[in-house]
Amino acid sequence: MATPKPRIRLPKSVEAGVPFTVRTRITHPMHTGLRRDRDGELIPRRIVNRFTVRYNGEEAFSAALEPAVSTDPYIQFELSLPESGVLEFEWEDDDGSIYSLRREISVV
Amino acid sequence: MAPTRRDVMRLGGVAAAVALFPAVAVADSNGISQAIAAFTKGAMALEAGLSLEVPEIADNGGAVPVRVAAAGARRIALFTDGNPYPGVVVFEFGRFTPPAATIRIRLARSQSVIAVAELADGTFRKASRAVAVTVGGCA
Repeated sequence: MATPKPRIRLPKSVEAGVPFTVRTRITHPMHTGLRRDRDGELIPRRIVNRFTVRYNGEEAFSAALEPAVSTDPYIQFELSLPESGVLEFEWEDDDGSIYSLRREISVV
Repeated sequence: MAPTRRDVMRLGGVAAAVALFPAVAVADSNGISQAIAAFTKGAMALEAGLSLEVPEIADNGGAVPVRVAAAGARRIALFTDGNPYPGVVVFEFGRFTPPAATIRIRLARSQSVIAVAELADGTFRKASRAVAVTVGGCA
């Protein structure tokens, strides 16, 4: 499996206290553990089971994912921030891997 | 034309079925009732104040967009009543996050998507939408 590649889209600068949209996606097969390969063998479950967003170290948003989430999990949510800071995004894989991104956001 | 005896019997059968199962809103073939009860810890969920947007017809069951929003929500969970497992996702919102989120989910066949929100005051809200799936996603 190719290494999952996380991506996020958010505005370069935002207004204080005005909600803005954050779009996130990570390339991942999200194997349910219920499907079989061509030889009839079960493909073991392997999903991204948790997605977390922190703002200046404080947890702002999280999602606990089950196998019913689509391949290449896409999650969109909103943030409303009081001041400039650092956003950290983290995806946790069943195999223990953690994929992360970090963005500085300027609030005007 | 006067109804035949057969017509009357048929109608009676339908009426009896409705009378016997009045409150069956969702089928429970995959344990969804238990999953929702685990999320709400058995509390009742009011069917109001929770917005759940799902397409009525999904051509591709492998990626169906679902948007949920509920004012004052701390957590919002999504369930399905026709996938092998009922749970889909649980969102948790902090003080910098308006309680709304969008995700793409798998639907193995036509079924209902159910959202349950836990508000900051500890009460629960619920909403349900039926989705017709043209090509099922391997959930």
